[in-house]
Amino acid sequence: MKCLSIEQIYLYIEKELSPSENKDVESHLRVCSICQKALEERKLLSQAAESLRLWDAPPDFTQQVMARIFPPKVSLPAWLGTLAAGFASMVLCFFILTLVTGQNLRSLLLSFTEAVFDFLKYLVPLFVKVLKLASLLVIFFQRFAEFLLKGLTLLTSIISTELQIIIISTTIILIISSIYALRRKLAFGEKT
Amino acid sequence: MDEDKNLVNRAILGEKEAFEMIIQKYQQPLLNYIGRMVGERELALDFTQEVFIKIYSSLRSYKPQFKFSTWLYRIASNTIIDYWRKKKIDAFSLDQQKNQDKDLPPIQVQANEQPLVRKFEISQLREKIERALDKIPASLREVFIWRHINELSYEEIAEIKGLPTGTIKNRVFQAKEMIRNLLEDKP
Repeated sequence: MKCLSIEQIYLYIEKELSPSENKDVESHLRVCSICQKALEERKLLSQAAESLRLWDAPPDFTQQVMARIFPPKVSLPAWLGTLAAGFASMVLCFFILTLVTGQNLRSLLLSFTEAVFDFLKYLVPLFVKVLKLASLLVIFFQRFAEFLLKGLTLLTSIISTELQIIIISTTIILIISSIYALRRKLAFGEKT
Repeated sequence: MDEDKNLVNRAILGEKEAFEMIIQKYQQPLLNYIGRMVGERELALDFTQEVFIKIYSSLRSYKPQFKFSTWLYRIASNTIIDYWRKKKIDAFSLDQQKNQDKDLPPIQVQANEQPLVRKFEISQLREKIERALDKIPASLREVFIWRHINELSYEEIAEIKGLPTGTIKNRVFQAKEMIRNLLEDKP
């Protein structure tokens, strides 16, 4: 029998031969030192190949993959939600109005803009009046403060220093007591 | 095998834990296959993640008459081929080998064969095999990895590649002989 093929040797090592083929190979190996050496070589090679170092995945590998498949949901800020809701409501109102009035969207938008401008026109004089009222109030408080200062100056020139101290102390005590009493009165549900 | 199918069904129904179990079971074999095909650990980790994402998105197309592991390796193999095509790496195309498998004459043991393997300790041999693996054609490297690192049967490899079992055996033997001949080479 001629020498074995390399394929036969590998199949023999891996026990992939049929029983009769296996028997033929073994009987040849008993008499052929060249094939015996070749077999030993391939056995060693297979042994080394089967024990190659294994690569390990990082411990958090599964979590990394899962995070890519199911990315965590990012919650929108509350103000953005309110803004979106407001905008959506506006769009919905426009849509309902177009249905109810039978007007097209362009004319509806025009009339909406006109209404906004009319409202602003009405708002400007009102704003001016509010400003005038505010300036009047400032003048009033300024005069009142001046009057109070004059009165106090006059009072301190008339009464003695001891009496001034008594009056000021009594006033402070009265103010503190009123604040405390008011606080207790308004402290609903608080533990006593 | 049935366990895999059960996990797939549960994952399809939306059970995240089932897919987590699939990842945990196959992450190491897949990383070892992809890692030795692309050569770099970081790239291999990215690829392995990519393959799992592809698997998840195509779970519904998995046919239970096939083994889940072979389907998984086929997706991984196609991902690598796509990557090489995009990168225009065609030197070792995985499909290139197809026409070279036919009618190969059996290689006989030579009387003057040099003892290449016995010269080294087993640990040295492992290192040399790792280095030689990078130098052999991808089509041979792939089947070698599946057979000796992932420990798949020839039938399983044939199912992944859609080729006859004999062709796969032939490729594995060619890969081993090529590695053996490269053992003498200096690093």
